[in-house]
Amino acid sequence: MNPNDSDASRFKSAATDRRGERDLDLLLVHVARGDTDAFEAVYDRLVGPVYGVIRRVLRDPSQSEEVTQEVLLEVWRTAARFDPAVGGAATWVLTIAHRRAIDRVRSATAAAGREHKTADVHTPHDEVAEAVEASLDRERVRRCLEGLTDVQRQAITLAYYGGHSYRQVAELLTVTLGAIKTRIRDGLIRMRDCLGVS
Amino acid sequence: MRFLRHDLHSLVGPYALDALEAGSERDRFIRHLSRCQSCAAEVKGFREVATAMAFAAAAEPPAELRDRVLTAAARTRQLPPEVRTHARPRRARGSVPWVPWLSGVVATASIVVAVLFGFAQAHTRDELNQLKAENQAISLLLSAPQAKLLTHTVTNGGVATVVLAADRHELAVVTTGLPALPSGQVYQLWLIGKPKTVSAGLLPPAKNGQTPAVLATGVVKGDTLGLTVEPAGGSAQPTTTPILALPLPV
Repeated sequence: MNPNDSDASRFKSAATDRRGERDLDLLLVHVARGDTDAFEAVYDRLVGPVYGVIRRVLRDPSQSEEVTQEVLLEVWRTAARFDPAVGGAATWVLTIAHRRAIDRVRSATAAAGREHKTADVHTPHDEVAEAVEASLDRERVRRCLEGLTDVQRQAITLAYYGGHSYRQVAELLTVTLGAIKTRIRDGLIRMRDCLGVS
Repeated sequence: MRFLRHDLHSLVGPYALDALEAGSERDRFIRHLSRCQSCAAEVKGFREVATAMAFAAAAEPPAELRDRVLTAAARTRQLPPEVRTHARPRRARGSVPWVPWLSGVVATASIVVAVLFGFAQAHTRDELNQLKAENQAISLLLSAPQAKLLTHTVTNGGVATVVLAADRHELAVVTTGLPALPSGQVYQLWLIGKPKTVSAGLLPPAKNGQTPAVLATGVVKGDTLGLTVEPAGGSAQPTTTPILALPLPV
């Protein structure tokens, strides 16, 4: 897909705009110095995707709210550890969010004896209707996901939105471990090129 | 189970999506990552894909969450800015050649002397590696397009030299000729500013009258670099009158 088409540039302006990212980077530097106004601005910019991705993984709204609060407090507490050289602020925050959601789901399923939620395999987009102000991101991601092979798409959505480990993904899709690793990586390379990220 | 390098590398996808379960496999991959620059670049790109997927899943949380988070934040203590006396070894910024910045930034001669002198004094391999890492951090700082060199005398003797990279919110400090302190006391650097003053780290012990570079992050507009004498281990806030107060042109 041509990264210069109008859709691609609209996507960038919505989610990965370089100047917007830099603004967010700067906001985080101020957060690290105890600036509560900057923290409110970071909250308003990122709470939607933070809550959204946690909810995709955990499904339960009240647990998702709890984890969202934990994540945002961690952002406040550890903002001084944010290093713009490693990646942008949005990516830093959303990596924390996803990891926290995964920690929660793994400890919960480990305790409950591990149940696979297979619903995600065929309905990876069923919650899109409740998303806010992200229609361009959503549309772009949806189109890029559609450009993948079925196995790549299912593996990536099961892992990221479903919160499954790649071993579980391999079982769910009845593919070997070696193959699933490669499918996930190949799929992410295609997504990266399609979305026009670095 | 033994892993071939190729197997290890293909874990980059699952790793970036947090799909590696905790355990020896993930530990081994993380070790691999610290040595593999192309993996780190790939993880970075994949995490941006994941970020786009998170934005695509954005949902509105209950409105009352905002107040709850902001109130909790106001009561939560923050970690201080990260202070490094050596570089981040995993950083994949690439090496910066010595010669261009040496010729380009003539005024940094005093730091160069301090750094090179450190090399001459290094004995063990660890010391040498540490110095190399420090040098790299400082040369990276100097190579920042907007790096500024500032020098200022210290009230009770000696000179502080600061390289400030305002666009990166970082600075490096070396000092020359500070009076030696009695045991039980240390020199501590501060970023004095609003809304609060934070520690920028302790000066390491001087070697031949010069302190190795301290690199501090999180510099913002309006900050003044301060230096005080504090009890060993440092203080949470300055407890004595600063012997250096250098406004930082950020």
